[in-house]
Amino acid sequence: MAPSKTRTIKNKHAGPKGSTGAAAKGGVKRSATDGVSKPKSKKPKGPVVSQQVKEKNRALLMKRPKKKTYTAEELGIPTLNMITPIGVEKPKGKKKGKVFVDDKESMTTILNLVQAEKEGHIESKMIKARQLEEIREARKVEAEKKAAEKKSMLEDTKESLRKKRKRKNDGKEDNDTKSISLTGTKANKASRKKVSFA
Amino acid sequence: MRPLTEEETQAVFKKLAEYTGASLKNIIAPQEDGDRNVFRLSQNRVYVVRLSMANLATSIARDNLLSLGTCLGKFTKSGKFRIHITALPILAEHARHKLWIRPNGVMPFLYGGNIVKAHVGRFSEDCPEHQGLVVYTMDDVPLGFGVSARSTAESRRLDPTGVVCFRQADCGEYLRDEDTLFQSG
Repeated sequence: MAPSKTRTIKNKHAGPKGSTGAAAKGGVKRSATDGVSKPKSKKPKGPVVSQQVKEKNRALLMKRPKKKTYTAEELGIPTLNMITPIGVEKPKGKKKGKVFVDDKESMTTILNLVQAEKEGHIESKMIKARQLEEIREARKVEAEKKAAEKKSMLEDTKESLRKKRKRKNDGKEDNDTKSISLTGTKANKASRKKVSFA
Repeated sequence: MRPLTEEETQAVFKKLAEYTGASLKNIIAPQEDGDRNVFRLSQNRVYVVRLSMANLATSIARDNLLSLGTCLGKFTKSGKFRIHITALPILAEHARHKLWIRPNGVMPFLYGGNIVKAHVGRFSEDCPEHQGLVVYTMDDVPLGFGVSARSTAESRRLDPTGVVCFRQADCGEYLRDEDTLFQSG
């Protein structure tokens, strides 16, 4: 009983087409009676098409218009005023992960770059050291020259003083030295200390 | 275990170039048997190893692989490269500036001391200040490496107790740092 009454619909979406199916049925009938299809038969199809269009329009009207999404560039937002900082954001389409250097060519280029940089550093250091050395040498020579000058001046003054003394104390100096050598100095005798034990 | 990235390779070469000259490129040059040396990073340590051996080592689990080839040094957490005494054979072979120490200076150096003028036997000419040096005994046995405290010209004028070279690594580390030298714990 039950299975005979139930109807199965193979295609759910075919349901609404059933309304148009009436027209189709009519078409079948006409074909059965006339056998030849007339231009009249096309008439009922006109309003159906318009109905469909209206339905579509209605559906379009019901839908809300899609909002346009703007990119940050279009809006002109300052680059720093973003959720992701500039440095953190990674470019799209770039391969994720590390890029390894394992082939000989790229390693050689890196090594050459590093060595050229190092050579430059060492060279500049050497030049700097040489310049400093030259300056030091020049200063040393200058200082030596000054010292020699000073010494010669001192010698000159000494010499001049000696000459002056000789003129003033011509015979007295000899007598004094003679007396000292004869009597000797008394300083040692006076300062001697004694220690006694019990 | 993985190859080095470009930045890492640059850091390693920069450090090696402190001590070595232009002949450093011989490290990566292809060898007679068609094999070549490659750099591999395993648990922050950088190794120089033959490519064939590095390929074989891929069959060993990361945790089980303690060491392979010659350890050059390790990357610190801030991304700097620190060279180890284990790199001495490579540095000694390609050294740019050398310093030979007298027999009386060998033990103080091996105990971690800096090199004073009194212990210097010979010194490379034209060595600038703060430049990497490889330290040898008078019999040309490499003992370690350091950084020059003064240029060659300045160190000549130095008094005997003045420091000529600051120690960076010495062979005594094999005993002193036995626990940490090969283990990244």
